[in-house]
Amino acid sequence: MTCPHLSYRRSDDDHEFENERPYCEVTESFVSPMKADICNNRHGFDYTRDCEVYPQEETATDEEPELTNPVD
Amino acid sequence: MSYEDYLNDEKTILTVAPTGGVHGKDKNPNLPEQPEEIAEQVAACEEIGAAICHLHARDEHGENDAERIQAVNDAVRDRCDDIIIQNTTGGQSTYDARVEGIRTEPAPEMASLDMGPFNRGKHIITEHNRHNIDRLAAEMREKGIKPELECFNNGHVNEVYRLIDRGALEPPYYFNLVFGHGTFTPPTPENVLNLVSNLPENSEFNLLAVGRHQLPLTTLSMILGGHVRVGMEDNLYYRSGEQARSNAQLVERTARIADLLEADLATPAETRKRLGL
Repeated sequence: MTCPHLSYRRSDDDHEFENERPYCEVTESFVSPMKADICNNRHGFDYTRDCEVYPQEETATDEEPELTNPVD
Repeated sequence: MSYEDYLNDEKTILTVAPTGGVHGKDKNPNLPEQPEEIAEQVAACEEIGAAICHLHARDEHGENDAERIQAVNDAVRDRCDDIIIQNTTGGQSTYDARVEGIRTEPAPEMASLDMGPFNRGKHIITEHNRHNIDRLAAEMREKGIKPELECFNNGHVNEVYRLIDRGALEPPYYFNLVFGHGTFTPPTPENVLNLVSNLPENSEFNLLAVGRHQLPLTTLSMILGGHVRVGMEDNLYYRSGEQARSNAQLVERTARIADLLEADLATPAETRKRLGL
């Protein structure tokens, strides 16, 4: 899965590149190589959990969370 | 390694780290990412006096891609005369990706060995646990690859002692002491002196400092008989507000300072002899 807010583009208002680069539509800026791993869910990352700017309301659900490890 | 070594004209080893895995061309368009542009910049640095190049690989989008380290190695070998290749095994990827750095053909003469994890952002923590460190150290030893022992903070020096106690390393032990923000050792001269005083016998140390600390602390390292790493992996600026034009620009400044300090730079051949490569 790839973050729905990730796109690949060659330019923005301030930059122009030969190749397409990862771009975050939330921050409206190019993404660093390390953060791009999160956007692409590489190496065990999950953008819904690990991205600092992912809109959290998009991860909300109407379902009750399932208790898999009750404490009592 | 000591001030006495500096006074006695022991030569300084200069490593260039041209690319890294943290920044992209959006932060500085002069950062080399593709094999040919990395090799071109490394060749220019070798011409000035770099003896070692610390290499990372990127894909066509500028994202980290360990599988392309072979292409970077090939390009550097084509372009350069004799510079020592030191591949990364660091970063936030899985072990299987990071180990690519010591599985090129031919194997690199050196490779980085991160001595523990560090944090990035809120959620990134690198996967450098002891199990992985031991596996990498063993494979490097088996292949005759000299590990560059990356100590991001004081505690990582303890981890090197652990490897020495286990017989996993051969002297001289080549440390890379990292100074900067976050998990790294706070970048002060006092911390440099303290850390150097904690190194074991038969050690050589290289100093890496991030951003604006690169210039003053690498200079201090030379006076302490240490070695230096400069380049755009660690520092995208030549001075405040002025982006580096190239890795060679940063290397040239360090070579000039070494010359003023009468600290000659070691050639790749001299470096091999000194480090037992």
